[in-house]
Amino acid sequence: MAEPVTEERVAVKINEQYCSRCSICRSLCPFEAITKDTETGKTLLDIEKCQVCGICYSACPARAIDTIYYDQGSLLNYLKGAKKKYGSQALVIMCKGSAPDFLEVERLFGVSGFIPLSVPCVGRISDEVFLTAIGMGIGEIYVLACDEDYCRFDRGSPLAGRRILALNLLLEQLGYGKEVITLKRSSLKVKVDRDLCISCGNCAFYCPYGAASLDSPGVASFNLASCKGCGLCVVMCPAFALELENWEKERISALISKLLAEMEPPRILVFRCQWAVFPSLDGELSPNVRLIDLPCAARVDGIHILDAFQKGVDGVLVAACSEEDCKQEKAGGKAQRLVAKLNERLSQVGFQDRLHFCSVAPRRGDGFDKELGQFSQRIRELSQGERK
Amino acid sequence: MIVTAQKPLNEILDLISPYSNILIAGCDGCTQPPRGLREARTLSQLLELGGKLRGKNFTFKVTTLVKQCDSFLTASALKPQVDGVEVVLSLACGIGVQTVAELFPDIIVLPAQNTHFMGAEDREGGTLEERCIGCGDCLLALTGGVCPFTRCAKGLLNGACGGARDGKCELDPGRDCAWELIFERLEKKGKLDNIKEYRPPRNYQIKAWRLVP
Repeated sequence: MAEPVTEERVAVKINEQYCSRCSICRSLCPFEAITKDTETGKTLLDIEKCQVCGICYSACPARAIDTIYYDQGSLLNYLKGAKKKYGSQALVIMCKGSAPDFLEVERLFGVSGFIPLSVPCVGRISDEVFLTAIGMGIGEIYVLACDEDYCRFDRGSPLAGRRILALNLLLEQLGYGKEVITLKRSSLKVKVDRDLCISCGNCAFYCPYGAASLDSPGVASFNLASCKGCGLCVVMCPAFALELENWEKERISALISKLLAEMEPPRILVFRCQWAVFPSLDGELSPNVRLIDLPCAARVDGIHILDAFQKGVDGVLVAACSEEDCKQEKAGGKAQRLVAKLNERLSQVGFQDRLHFCSVAPRRGDGFDKELGQFSQRIRELSQGERK
Repeated sequence: MIVTAQKPLNEILDLISPYSNILIAGCDGCTQPPRGLREARTLSQLLELGGKLRGKNFTFKVTTLVKQCDSFLTASALKPQVDGVEVVLSLACGIGVQTVAELFPDIIVLPAQNTHFMGAEDREGGTLEERCIGCGDCLLALTGGVCPFTRCAKGLLNGACGGARDGKCELDPGRDCAWELIFERLEKKGKLDNIKEYRPPRNYQIKAWRLVP
């Protein structure tokens, strides 16, 4: 059923009926999106400022905040289903921003097999989810959060840390033993092969965090403490001397091949910034569409777009945050220009209208679906035109 | 650095269409913007896609060279890679293309770039501007480090002409007046007297084909 056009699916809402005006949400919001109306005392949410981190949702003692992503109900539903599916007693909750692949996660926590729960920011997981999971018989909970200064939502990772500390004390008092919830932190950063560097200085010029420089013989060198893992330097490096941990070129290429094998024509591959679109926990994907989530649109690499076309993809959609929403100091904005440039070159070889860039935000639940719908329609028409 | 611009891809496709086995050779030297391994790979992917639309299957290999104009380096790096290659498509400036063509007389060598000038890149705006014409008679010491040959639209050696408005050239308002730049530079350096010095007309004999001993 189509929803009425006038009512957009807003991602976060404050339900005034339940709000006790305690202001906890207001003090936690990293983006100053929540304010108090001085006249009425009501708590107000400015959705345009909201980055949908879910911290307010997880912390509201009155459950007065509604969200369309990873709400209590759907998280618990997922856990119920996943417990059967994975046949494991171990749950790993990880932030998409810093989680390496599942094998590495197993190694990190010393578990074999686990129920994965990948979310944008672990700070959005409330006490209740942890406790209900334990109530469901999940014996071990592992949390992989971002390093505190790497958190895309500033306060999400520190909040998760404090929450787990308190929960562990509580669980110990209840007789569940010590450290029921294990917390680890990580981050994914740039790797440099200094032998391949040609001293062009692109990384140093483009890095939004000043993490890259050329040392005395003119070779790229990185201050990893400042690297925030956007991947822009990797894309701008003309010599393939850089890699972003967990998003290595070979790995993305292999992923494209794997996804392509599952797809039906017309095939549409989407490169998304993982902060621009929040994937649903369930829901089936159309067999025509596959998604690759990247740490920032800045990591969308021309060679991977071309790789996809070479392998037989009919259309490539790049979904990024707007420059104002970019969690990576506007690094994602560069992606738009790079895609435009590539599009121009593609049309020179007669390959038109197959690549499209859109900027979306999770604050409107259907923004991405609309873009994907329009693009799919266009590619379908193009493909039909070719067959005729 | 040597500033080049990519030839239109359909022109490159026309150039390579009689052949099948192509080696794309990048250059990590002074070509700007950088035309190294990434550019070689990207170009191979684009040409392969374009080739398919034309019903043509190319086989590409990609490589890059430290300085394509250096015949010694290029010979040693390229020799092991040219077996079975019909065409080397060079991403270097015209000098690199000529070096490869000379080293491998049996192989077709094609340029993928149009070579423009010696210049510098404004990374912020992504523009590249000519800065030196290689006149062989450098007078930058007199002009505060601004070359009037290159940057004055009239090539005046004893400026300014008087036609500039708001610091911009009367022939092209997008362009700074070189002589106003020279004046400002000399003023800052306390060398304004330099401007009074008469500079004789350029000796075009030096510009003829030349060899530096």
